[in-house]
Amino acid sequence: MSVITRAERGARTKLPPEQPSIPQRKGGTAGYWLYLLPGFVLLLVIVIIPLIFNVYLTFTKWRGVRTPEFIGLENWVKIFTDEDFWTSFTNSVWMVLAMVVIPTTIGLIVAALLFDVVGRKFGGKVGSFLRATYYLPQILPIAVAGIVIGWMFRPGATGSVNQILAVFGIPAYDWLGQMPSALLVLMGVLVWVQLGYPIVVFMAALQRVDPELYEAAELDGANWFQRFSAITMSIIRPEIFVVTLTCTIAALKVFGPVYIITQGGPAGATLVPAYYAYTEFFTKRNIGYGATIATVLTILVVVVSIIFIRVQNSMERKERAGL
Amino acid sequence: MARITRKNARRGLAAVGALTVGALALAGCAGGGSGSEGDGDTLKLWHYEGEDSAMAKAWNEAIKVFEEETGATVEFEQKSFEQIQKTASQVLDSDAAPDLMEFNKGNATAGFLASTGLIADISDAVDEYGWADKLAPSLQTTAKYTEDGVMGGDTWYGIPNYGEFVGVYYNEEAFAAAGLEIPTTYDEFVDVLDAFVAQGITPLAEAGAEYPLGQLWYQLALTQADRQFVNDYQLYENPVDWQGEELTYATETLQEYVDKGYIASDVSSVKAEDAGVSFINGTAPIFVSGSWWYGRFVEEAGFDWTLQAFPDTQLSLGSSGNLWVVPENAANKELAYEFIDITMRPEIQAIIGNNGGVPVAAEPADITDEKSAELIATFNGILDNDGLSFYPDWPAAGFYDVIVRELQGLVTGTQDAETTNANLGAEYEEGTADFR
Repeated sequence: MSVITRAERGARTKLPPEQPSIPQRKGGTAGYWLYLLPGFVLLLVIVIIPLIFNVYLTFTKWRGVRTPEFIGLENWVKIFTDEDFWTSFTNSVWMVLAMVVIPTTIGLIVAALLFDVVGRKFGGKVGSFLRATYYLPQILPIAVAGIVIGWMFRPGATGSVNQILAVFGIPAYDWLGQMPSALLVLMGVLVWVQLGYPIVVFMAALQRVDPELYEAAELDGANWFQRFSAITMSIIRPEIFVVTLTCTIAALKVFGPVYIITQGGPAGATLVPAYYAYTEFFTKRNIGYGATIATVLTILVVVVSIIFIRVQNSMERKERAGL
Repeated sequence: MARITRKNARRGLAAVGALTVGALALAGCAGGGSGSEGDGDTLKLWHYEGEDSAMAKAWNEAIKVFEEETGATVEFEQKSFEQIQKTASQVLDSDAAPDLMEFNKGNATAGFLASTGLIADISDAVDEYGWADKLAPSLQTTAKYTEDGVMGGDTWYGIPNYGEFVGVYYNEEAFAAAGLEIPTTYDEFVDVLDAFVAQGITPLAEAGAEYPLGQLWYQLALTQADRQFVNDYQLYENPVDWQGEELTYATETLQEYVDKGYIASDVSSVKAEDAGVSFINGTAPIFVSGSWWYGRFVEEAGFDWTLQAFPDTQLSLGSSGNLWVVPENAANKELAYEFIDITMRPEIQAIIGNNGGVPVAAEPADITDEKSAELIATFNGILDNDGLSFYPDWPAAGFYDVIVRELQGLVTGTQDAETTNANLGAEYEEGTADFR
């Protein structure tokens, strides 16, 4: 067994620059900074200053007006023993399942089917129509969708879901008032809303695939699943990363559907960090504690993003190096 | 394409610098500002009563009278309750504050604004216009606050010109159909509940996702309580015993109501609107809720019904209505006081009374509507007993959500009565710690 030294590994994975460097104009780069400055200014005013202020607030007790009172690490100590906080983060795992794992998996399969089977057998228009249909829930404002879902799942005989079940002799159920049904309904809504996004992105990515690849694989006797795993998955891997990253961030900070459909209930069972921070900010006026929850959420989102990007870069490096 | 020269770059940097200063200035605008002098010709007024409500009708008339008498113009902005509730402290801390605003009463709301100095001490105006003489003592409680924002203090921060209370609505036709009498005692009330259940009817319209269930819970506690309990709970005179007689009774009885079928088992996700509608459409013959439903039931319930105080208790949920408050940064405080005074006139109060509202200073002879007269008589009966006991969520900011959450836990069987009270108590202690 040959041993590859660190230097050799570095040499093997070292790649030529991906982009040609921008030719430098004589006289420096002042002109480029000019174009970047408005963006930096907005970043400073809209993101960085509020972020620093938010972190400062985590060390204070503040009711939203007048001067915040400095209380040191009290909020940070409290957050580690706060049962509601941990419940909200546990629920985030379910949100990731509903907004990332399930939609991305189904989205991959549906996109591949639409492109490889439906598109080829029924023509591109049918595929496009179905893609638009899947995307429709993404266009609907979540407030509107949430209210309608709330009506559908009303308890007793007034909810349409219970009315449909009654036709089959199934007794009415309090979908949003009991666990685990409230969480399952919420997750179902999120899957429904989210599904269109990966499908549209994956189908766009699949446009890059040379149809001859599929035909060649088919001639070689590859079945649909083999074509899917060997061709589709391999080619749209960058898009899978993008979808997974953006959806994970969205899942960690999900707010609208919870606010509209369950308001964290029943009995706090569908509480998520963003909604918890909101209630601390706006109903309890515990601004300092709300800021602490928001800061933890921000840190989590940043950490997850860094991990994703590093993994993606590492895989791309390996791929380019032919490893 | 224009070349980027050093001179152009400098100009560009200057422009970006100006943009930065402008953006920071805009951001700074959200901060506190001092009140500016008004022109004395415009009254900027905000309230959140629905256009068809008794209060909006009365205040629309008050606006006309005000404009005729003072020559000033009213610049009215319709707001939503949530909008004012959630943004008031930021708006009132700026130059965008109105001259007069309707605001929710209680420690966590008007009391909070009073303690932060965002709304004005109007004690001098109260003396000048003699409003105190028109308001019963228990109505004054919610208008006066301590410097910590606890109601029942010595300083006037608002004026209510209507009242509200929680009682029991009975569908008289449903009672007649079931061969039952409207109960006058608590025992009879329970007998009626049993009788309806025996006939396969869930008697109480309830909502666990919003305020009705919490109000029933507090009303049950009030059946065992005296005024001192209310003062302890609402005014922090003594510590509240969350495993004590009153609250244990309330929580256990509420659990019993669900177990015995007085309340539907799927109550935890029902909203107040749905509970009200189930009374209006005759599904549930009894509804424990507030006088704010009165006008709606007059309009929409197609059967005879009556509203009575909860049986066998001197204490009822209720208070003054929301308050007129004058922001400290208001530009035209004098105009605001003149407008408040007009809303307290008997002719404006009568409009509230004749449209399903509960006026606080109306002439009885002006109330021509029979149904409204019955409502006002019930309210006055509670006032005569010094029975207004406020609302369960008032003691601490955010306690409303806590009550909803904990009672959902109780009625869904997730937790028992003792745990529910322990959880409520912990949140109450935390939320009120700064005031006790």
